[in-house]
Amino acid sequence: MEAFLLGLQLVFNVETMLVILAAAIFGVFVGAVPGLTATMAVALLVPITFYMDPTPAIAAIVTTSAMAIFAGDIPATYLNIPGTPSSAAYVGDSNLLAHKGRARETLGINLICSVFGGLFGTVILVFVSPSLAEVALQFSSFEYFWLALLGLSCSIFIAIGSRVKAFLSLMIGLLLSTVGLDMMSGAPRFTFGIPDLMGGINFIPVMIGMFALNELMLFYGSSNEKRKLPYLSKDSVFKQAPRHVKAYWRNMIRGSSIGTLIGALPGAGADIAAWISYAVGKSRSKEKQAYGTGHIEGIVDASSANNSGISGAWVPALVFGIPGDSITAIVIGVLYMKGMNPGPTIFMDGTGLIYALFIVFFLANLIMLPIGFAAIRSAKVFILTPRKILMPIILCFCIIGAFSINNSITDVWIMLLIGFIASILVRCDFPMAPAILGLVLGTTLENSFMSSMLKSNGDLLSFFSRPISAGLGALVILLWFSPLLTMAYRKIKNNQADKAPRNS
Amino acid sequence: MRDLLLGLAFMLLGAVVITVASQYPTMASLQYGPSLFPSLIGGGFLIGGFVLSAIQLPALKSQLSSKDDSIRMFDFRPILLSLLPCALIIFYIFASEFLGAALCLGIIMLVLMLVKRTSLILALCVSVIASLVIYFIFSRYLLIPLPEGLLNFWG
Repeated sequence: MEAFLLGLQLVFNVETMLVILAAAIFGVFVGAVPGLTATMAVALLVPITFYMDPTPAIAAIVTTSAMAIFAGDIPATYLNIPGTPSSAAYVGDSNLLAHKGRARETLGINLICSVFGGLFGTVILVFVSPSLAEVALQFSSFEYFWLALLGLSCSIFIAIGSRVKAFLSLMIGLLLSTVGLDMMSGAPRFTFGIPDLMGGINFIPVMIGMFALNELMLFYGSSNEKRKLPYLSKDSVFKQAPRHVKAYWRNMIRGSSIGTLIGALPGAGADIAAWISYAVGKSRSKEKQAYGTGHIEGIVDASSANNSGISGAWVPALVFGIPGDSITAIVIGVLYMKGMNPGPTIFMDGTGLIYALFIVFFLANLIMLPIGFAAIRSAKVFILTPRKILMPIILCFCIIGAFSINNSITDVWIMLLIGFIASILVRCDFPMAPAILGLVLGTTLENSFMSSMLKSNGDLLSFFSRPISAGLGALVILLWFSPLLTMAYRKIKNNQADKAPRNS
Repeated sequence: MRDLLLGLAFMLLGAVVITVASQYPTMASLQYGPSLFPSLIGGGFLIGGFVLSAIQLPALKSQLSSKDDSIRMFDFRPILLSLLPCALIIFYIFASEFLGAALCLGIIMLVLMLVKRTSLILALCVSVIASLVIYFIFSRYLLIPLPEGLLNFWG
């Protein structure tokens, strides 16, 4: 109880409340301008949060990401361009409804579903994380090795597109994680005589390069697009909302549950959660044919899922230090910088920081309602902001942001190189999430493997000697063989289907 | 074709990583030394790069066997424009010590806005105001030691 009161004190003060408000407005802006993603916003925020106390720093990240995911729906509805990838699943439905003069009604239900999804995910985070942490307290290096491997494997199997490309992307992240002094022998690896690399590669310049510089390069390489707002609806934001909520409350709960679950899987972010929830909703709907033709039901499914996915991704990040998506990968670094080492012991901390984090989650999702309402009413300002003015300012933030982490020009070089490589890979359809997970989890994977080998005198079978470790190991192996098993199952099913008509 | 070349590049990277890793010292007390993970990663690059290239081979064969002799005109302008932010970052790295961070940031913004055909007056106003705001936030409020350059010279 004392820790909870301390948590309240940490949140309800002028500094944190102002940071939450400013982050909410920043999040709306970033989400509503097409081409700026929530991950990019968070990566750019980190250098500024570096100089804040832990609670306002975390509050800024949580609020920005939640707001940006909702605000991505604004250009999706009006321009048919998703502001962030998380709005892509239902962009067609939203835009068709806008054509019918129902843009504000659509955005109103988007807002309610986003708030509901965010709060649902937060409730799961608050109640599930401490229980999971109690189990995680029993974990040793053997279990952490398998957990890290499970997270990395998930990032390949869940990635959209080629698995080979996802695998190679992961290898790049893992390679970057090996740079610096080796934990066991102290030997420098891939440092090329540069003293700044001895401590390893800081992942903030990598993030800025991958998500911000890469976007800038794509923008300057593309032809100049002129955006015109074809219509601006004047319908009511919330008038039809109670009717839709009454009709589709089951979809809200299902979407939020799917979103939280998918968000908690490493490598799967809010965008994948939205796609899966939309697909599940369509398969179970009585009006399947209406999906994609401007139907509110699909929007309810996916819009609840993407915001709950944001909260869900924090469960493995807080309990095991394993990020659920790119944003929580950044957050883990921020937590370490602020002395809040992610892992089960974070819940034993008596300073109230964990309660402050939970309260911030509730506030971030609740503030979405008034700020989101204002954003819907003033949509024109956000979506017509010229990117040719914004992008140069963002590049300057990238340079100064990368430099400010260690006050080192080496980090600017790292940002430049990674951004350049990422732009080539993204153009060739390589997913970037596995690379980020590789960079964040690579050290955990190697260190837990080496510690385990020291404990067991190099006996590899010791990874299966503890029950939880053996279970996690079996899960990883099952995941690796799942494509083969699926193929075999399909073959058997097809053979049976072929035989059936012959017999009849 | 792109994927074939990328696959080969990854295989080359894998070979380099394994070669570099093989030179790391080994310790008698440790069964697995600092070269283990880099070598495994290098192996991953080799296998992944090989698979990526091999998948592309049938498509490449059919492209070569087709009698399409038309020469495609390749437009280098978008590629050069996409490299502009990188070139400007390199400009900042080398010029900021002398010119100072604020001036360099202003020049970078001005160039980028003019490339996208922003009016000169608007580009100048935004560049000057934004560069000064960014400079003062980071150097005065967040106490980042940004190079002052000519600003220092002018006092």
